[in-house]
Amino acid sequence: MHRSGYFIFYLSCFLLLATSCQDFPKDPEKTLEQVSNGTLKVGYSENPPWVVKGPEGPTGIEAELVRGFAKTLNAKVEWQNDTEQNLLEDLEEKKLHLVIAGITDDSPWKSKISFTRPYTEMAKKKHVLCVVMGENAFIVKLEKFLHQQQSTLENRLQP
Amino acid sequence: MKPINRFEYPPELQPVFAKAKKLEWISVFYLISTSVVVYLTMGNSQAMKTAYFEDILSLTPSISFLIAARIFHKRPNKDFPYGYHRVVTIAFLCGALALFSVGAFLIFDAASTLIKQEHPTIGIKVIFGHEVWLGYLMIAAMVYSTIPSMILGRMKLPLAKKLNEKNLYTDADMNKADWMTGAAAIPGILGIGMGWWWADSVAALIIALDILWDGYTNLKQAIFDLMNQIPKNVDDRHTDPLLLQVEQKLKHQPWIKEHAFRMREEGHIYLGEAFVVPHEHDGQLTMRIEKLAQEVSDLNWRIQEFLIMPVQELPQTNAQEGRPGQNNPEIT
Repeated sequence: MHRSGYFIFYLSCFLLLATSCQDFPKDPEKTLEQVSNGTLKVGYSENPPWVVKGPEGPTGIEAELVRGFAKTLNAKVEWQNDTEQNLLEDLEEKKLHLVIAGITDDSPWKSKISFTRPYTEMAKKKHVLCVVMGENAFIVKLEKFLHQQQSTLENRLQP
Repeated sequence: MKPINRFEYPPELQPVFAKAKKLEWISVFYLISTSVVVYLTMGNSQAMKTAYFEDILSLTPSISFLIAARIFHKRPNKDFPYGYHRVVTIAFLCGALALFSVGAFLIFDAASTLIKQEHPTIGIKVIFGHEVWLGYLMIAAMVYSTIPSMILGRMKLPLAKKLNEKNLYTDADMNKADWMTGAAAIPGILGIGMGWWWADSVAALIIALDILWDGYTNLKQAIFDLMNQIPKNVDDRHTDPLLLQVEQKLKHQPWIKEHAFRMREEGHIYLGEAFVVPHEHDGQLTMRIEKLAQEVSDLNWRIQEFLIMPVQELPQTNAQEGRPGQNNPEIT
């Protein structure tokens, strides 16, 4: 019984350690810290109704979600317009924080970048935002925001 | 002399065998449930992916035990005159090969995520309207896939020793060692939470090494068994002391001048043959041989068949090590 006893002891130590930290999970590269009260770098590629090009930056469902999220972090949004391919490559190289282009969770880009959990489902397609990989504090913050927006969003999207 | 019979465990071991079968059924259902739980919470974590493969693979010893348990006691027939005992070893080999190859693949996989510096992403899951960090669910899944497994392993180990059952022993041993998986995966996940992206791949690497090690030891044992290695105990892998008893039995026969014998394992049972040089050839020889063979088989239920061959002199090919009854250093 000795080993399992040690194991349980060791486990509870770790759990205690983890839950005692308030900011858990953390970012390996401190994205959330840098974006808060700073700049949120977002790439967009037109894909109505999710992303629509406009004179003063993009509009559309996803663009508005990003503006709302930036507001909660007190961050300024820096928009960058390009093709989906180029934007996702920039995201992979961590030059952007977020990419919006009406992407669904069956996209083959899944292994190079991260998707948020689907924020809405339309015509059996699960819509996601693309996020820089592994910045878990930032992603958790964004996913929580998207989850809170879910009901208002679904009311809007009702035909 | 008894022929290889329809094999059944002796009456005192029947309930042990029944209990082992019951525990293995429980293990199969439990492992299926853990694989599902681990799969659902796997997310982007390499450690969880590796743990998932481990759960799936640890099904193989249980399943091979249950399959073998249905087949091995079939009566020998025209097509299979030696019975079906070796089915146990074949099942064991298949399981071992699966472990070994998947272990090697997972080491490669974990190492490449580490080298490519892939940062694992773990977001939230919404459960009944609550936003929970998926990492906590992963930890819960790992606790579920670790602690009951350790208990099952501990329950199966003594049964495996009593039954001389290798599949069961391996299974119990792997279950018992399952704490390693939990002890690697949980800090790996918590490490991700601390912002250490590498913690996940390192945990995955440790689990994969454990799988590879299990695969290697089992593969070695399965191959040795198929090559008719001298019978060993299931637990400590020492030569079975039963062979010494056989040796004593042969040595104390006044009518035998010289003798040599060898034994091999087939599944749970031992088969063997002895060459004996009798002192004189009187009319009693056949009767003596039959009586001795019976006495040797009666030593233990595991000795299923023991043939005795009278010869003028001992076969020369068996000189030195090849004569297990006499000069074999493994026995003495």
